[in-house]
Amino acid sequence: MKRLTRIFGIALTAALVSVGVASAASLGLTSGRLDAGSATVNGCTSSSLTATRNVDNSGNVTQLNVLSVPQACAGEVLTATLENSSNASLGSSAVIVGTCTGGCTVSMTGFGTVSATNVTAYALSITE
Amino acid sequence: MRRRHTLLRLTVAIVVFMSSSVGVGYAASLGLSSKKLHAWSQTLTKGTCNQTAATADDTYVQQANPTSTAGGTDTNLTVGGAAGSQDYAFIRFDLSGCGLPTTAGADSATLTVTVTTKSNDTISLFPVYSSWSSSTLNWNGLGGLTIGATATTTFVPSTPGQVTVPVTADVDAAIKAGTLWGWELRDTSGTAVSAVGSSENNASGKRPSLALGYEK
Repeated sequence: MKRLTRIFGIALTAALVSVGVASAASLGLTSGRLDAGSATVNGCTSSSLTATRNVDNSGNVTQLNVLSVPQACAGEVLTATLENSSNASLGSSAVIVGTCTGGCTVSMTGFGTVSATNVTAYALSITE
Repeated sequence: MRRRHTLLRLTVAIVVFMSSSVGVGYAASLGLSSKKLHAWSQTLTKGTCNQTAATADDTYVQQANPTSTAGGTDTNLTVGGAAGSQDYAFIRFDLSGCGLPTTAGADSATLTVTVTTKSNDTISLFPVYSSWSSSTLNWNGLGGLTIGATATTTFVPSTPGQVTVPVTADVDAAIKAGTLWGWELRDTSGTAVSAVGSSENNASGKRPSLALGYEK
């Protein structure tokens, strides 16, 4: 009986420790801002690329064009977020960079109905 | 004996729970460490660059007078839809003073014209993509122009006075192309003749204007 009580105690302690680890891991994922900063880890480019956007006749963004994306980025995921003056997201889209000769213009759609007047910045990132 | 069984069950349950927790923690770590990330932000500058008759050029061409360029100096731009005697008007603005690069764009753009001769016909605005000048354009020269097949917008000049229509998409595309060649105004519903004030109109309030909000 004493032995069983000791085993139970060890198991309970281990469980508590592992719950702590799991919680920390979950917290790290959900609270981290992947779009902030400018850290580069062996990426296909370290340049800040330029983007332009198209609008419809009502002034809503229909498409974002990221210019001169290096060919080395082919196959990687380009994510763009349209932000307002408070840096809040107005719409976001992601696309896998295709293959092309030289620098590619990557066109992105699917931002929803976003008035270009309210967009004051583009937040862009490339991940693989 | 019963207490012993309960403790045993509890121990098994804890071990199972512990195993699943470790699994979750491992997956999370794997997700984080496999990302290679390059992130950046592009801040946009907003502004306005409204256009008046000072930067406008306009004319109208007449099917009945195919070599005439008189529309370039007239105080009104006529638009007529009668077969054999159609009149098409043209309006454009020079945006070069705005200093916009081809990576800029229009957030909003509206064209304002003043109806001086009313009708109940529909006037459609078609984007013009090639160069023209009011001093040389005539009916016979229409074939040399590149004009969009789809109207950007329409209005009915049923009441004398100002009419404002959205032209954001056309101006946005023109900024990226480097030059705004404006619009052809065509009667697309009837045979009446209507007119709007030109940039040569004696009353400055009747001349065409363009309100432009941009980003760059």
